[in-house]
Amino acid sequence: MIRNPLRDPRDRRLPRVPEPCALVVFGITGDLARKKLLPAVYDLANRGLLPTNFALLGFARREWDDAAFAELARDAARKAARTPWREEVWERLAGGVHFVHGSFDDDNAFDALAERLHELEGSSGIGGNAAFYLSIPPGQFPVVLKQMQRTGMADSTPERWRRVVVEKPFGTDLPSSRELNALVDSVFTPEDVFRIDHYLGKETVQNLLALRFANTLFEPVWNGHHVDSVQITMAEDVGIGTRAAFYERTGAARDVLQNHLLQLLALTAMEEPVNFSAEEIRTEKLKVLRAISLPADLSASAVRGQYEQGWLAGQRVPGYRQEEGVAPDSRTETFAAVRFGVETRRWAGVPFYLRAGKRLPRRVTEIALVFERAPHLPFSDTDTEELGNNQLVIRVQPDEGVTLKFGSKVPGSVMEVRDVSMDFLYGEQFTESSPEAYERLLLDVLLGDATLFPRNSEVEASWAVIDPLEAFWAGSTPHPYRAGEWGPRAADEMLAAEGRRWRRP
Amino acid sequence: MAAAVTTLWDTNGTAVVKELAAQRRTGGAVLSGVALTLVVVADESRVEEAEEAAAHAAEMHPCRLLVVVRRQLDSPAPRLDAEVTIGGRLGPGEAVVMRMYGRLGLHAESVVLPLLAADAPVVAWWHAPPPERLATDALAVIADRRITDSSMGPDPVAALRTRAADYAPGDTDLAWTRSTPWRAALTSTVDSVAGRRGEAVRLLGGVVEGDPRRASARLLAGWLSARCDCAVDVVDSDRAAGPGGVDTVVLRLDRDEEVRVRADRRAGALITQPHRPDATVALPDRPLGDLLGEELRRLDPDEPYSEALAAATGVTGLAGRPAVREHEWFDPFQREDA
Ligand SMILES: NC(=O)c1ccc[n+]([C@@H]2O[C@H](COP(=O)([O-])OP(=O)(O)OC[C@H]3O[C@@H](n4cnc5c(N)ncnc54)[C@H](OP(=O)(O)O)[C@@H]3O)[C@@H](O)[C@H]2O)c1
Repeated sequence: MIRNPLRDPRDRRLPRVPEPCALVVFGITGDLARKKLLPAVYDLANRGLLPTNFALLGFARREWDDAAFAELARDAARKAARTPWREEVWERLAGGVHFVHGSFDDDNAFDALAERLHELEGSSGIGGNAAFYLSIPPGQFPVVLKQMQRTGMADSTPERWRRVVVEKPFGTDLPSSRELNALVDSVFTPEDVFRIDHYLGKETVQNLLALRFANTLFEPVWNGHHVDSVQITMAEDVGIGTRAAFYERTGAARDVLQNHLLQLLALTAMEEPVNFSAEEIRTEKLKVLRAISLPADLSASAVRGQYEQGWLAGQRVPGYRQEEGVAPDSRTETFAAVRFGVETRRWAGVPFYLRAGKRLPRRVTEIALVFERAPHLPFSDTDTEELGNNQLVIRVQPDEGVTLKFGSKVPGSVMEVRDVSMDFLYGEQFTESSPEAYERLLLDVLLGDATLFPRNSEVEASWAVIDPLEAFWAGSTPHPYRAGEWGPRAADEMLAAEGRRWRRP
Repeated sequence: MAAAVTTLWDTNGTAVVKELAAQRRTGGAVLSGVALTLVVVADESRVEEAEEAAAHAAEMHPCRLLVVVRRQLDSPAPRLDAEVTIGGRLGPGEAVVMRMYGRLGLHAESVVLPLLAADAPVVAWWHAPPPERLATDALAVIADRRITDSSMGPDPVAALRTRAADYAPGDTDLAWTRSTPWRAALTSTVDSVAGRRGEAVRLLGGVVEGDPRRASARLLAGWLSARCDCAVDVVDSDRAAGPGGVDTVVLRLDRDEEVRVRADRRAGALITQPHRPDATVALPDRPLGDLLGEELRRLDPDEPYSEALAAATGVTGLAGRPAVREHEWFDPFQREDA
């Protein structure tokens, strides 16, 4: 039903703007809130994508008043905003910025928050709608959720919506994620829970769905008849920075394999959704995640590594065990490479190689489909020595785009064939001005659009894949690799044993 | 990559095509993935402005940019000067600026046609007074989408009528683009009334206060009339209207309610609605490049525009017209031509 005569489905110029609402951020003083959330809120305001009535509430332990908080928020937003800074936009936003101070275990503070929110319903005209962003250490989730339950803040009614945004990690293994999901879903209802996997907010990841399902060219070869193997790589050149305490407990597999890489795998391998709705896309992703299999012999198909000191980009960098806050005998992995199968008719027999690591030569995330060799080549062996497998590569970041690698004749009077790459590149500026992942996802939360958010069953299915790996690795020592190399030699041997090799991204 | 720029004096179309191909070959990693060709028709006095806007839009929409400047149509000797650049002043893509002298200006398409990106849509934008009948400019005929700017001339309201009389699906106008932020602010205001009520809102009427001589104000009123099926007029506002010619919009709703959106002159608008405190939203004046960028997002016929244009000018039957124009030969110096 169209409730607003000015809305016209043919009118694609008018943006989707959320209903009047409040955004409540727990942990507003934290790293994520300052670097991502506040700038994203400003950018949304600057693009005219915030509702007519909007309030931002920050909750933290410091004793600030609204003005002091607004000042901090302004600096943070200004520092990392993507759109040009316009003071008047911020001033307008600042009129709706409020601060509530208190600790998570303090009942009075939450009563004050509930009170403040209630006041704003009338005075700011937000009409009771609110999204709560848990930008806090995961250990604090239960206490905050229980406080929201106690004060009734989490209840959606026909008159108002209440939503919650949860950041990764969603637990540390299957049992803990079940527990967390059960808690979040009981305090809020499952439809009101938004789990952020910021990879899904990236343009190129969404473009993967367009590439696959809007074209006829790729789908016929998108299966085990034509695809030899799939490689998904997420490489970072940075180390662990100041996150030692978190990383020591977590490791590469739990940090990024469980969420980002498995989501990329799901989008690559999933069947066509019935339609482009949140429900249907999640259904197809879930089927893939549940179809993932691990080889019986993990010793030959799961490798983990840890960086040692080395040189990266012309600078000496310390090894993982020398990083501040890391145990000198740490067994946490900073690199993981695994071979999965996807047990469906489409993918039976096709290995999916996933790898993620820190202190690798460069920052790059990509999905590569490596195609079968031609069954017969009418050229002589020497003509095609330099011909490799055809590849289709989705470059997720940086240099967002698509590469197609195929054989082509070397110009000249003899027949020689070698590989060339054809690149589709989104312009640098295109990606600069396109919204940051957090901006897009925050907008979707306020609009109630869950298409780009994994649901609890996806998270659980992902842990079900990771848990056996963690169990297998428990107690073992990761293979060392030098910072600035593409991971430990064991990872190369893992592919070599199957007659393949890693693509150098 | 360093930008490559070559200027060809007194040249011809073939040489320009060759030079572009040569630059593509030697230019190294050229931005690839061209989505469209943008043909800009500009006056010499406005070329710089047009180039800046087109370069900005090209950053969002990978395109090949062809700028056509017609000069001294009465000059006895036809002549072509061209500047070919890749990845420079004119944005990340390939660009050719052509100055055409003499009667070549009447045959600009002979130079432009071989330069179009293969099988990609063509958008023509006049940053100059457009011809009264677009069909008399062959560049309009080869374009899939045609962008004019009715606010440029001395009488924007007459210009709107001309556009309505000449309209074909695929035409659009930057005066319409300028109204988008207003339309968005009005729509989200009515959204919020509907949200509060929990049921549909009916529009009974309204008024646009501003400058009735401005094209964007007229189109905004036309759009409101078309959407609520009632007459919405533009009346003179008590203070000077901003760049788009709109100062305040008042909408009368059912249940005796009213909403009001008023420019606050600080790139925002003050929103007044029943049962809610006043609020402000962003309502920026956008630079030309942003307007052009919005136009290039979608290249299919813009029905809401045709309805707004029809309502603003009283010309009917716009949507039913054929989308394809046939070239009409028009010679400003008539008898001279054989
Ligand atoms: N940073 C990132 O880039 C990133 C990326 C992905 C996911 N995440 C996730 O996002 C969440 C936040 O990360 P972060 O890096 O922003 O963490 P952080 O910098 O450590 O910030 C934590 C925030 O929580 C507040 N807090 C902690 N304990 C509290 C208590 N008992 N009572 C009241 N406030 C308390 C802190 O307030 P005080 O200032 O008062 O201590 C601070 O504002 C975590 O779940 C993290 O896993 C972060």
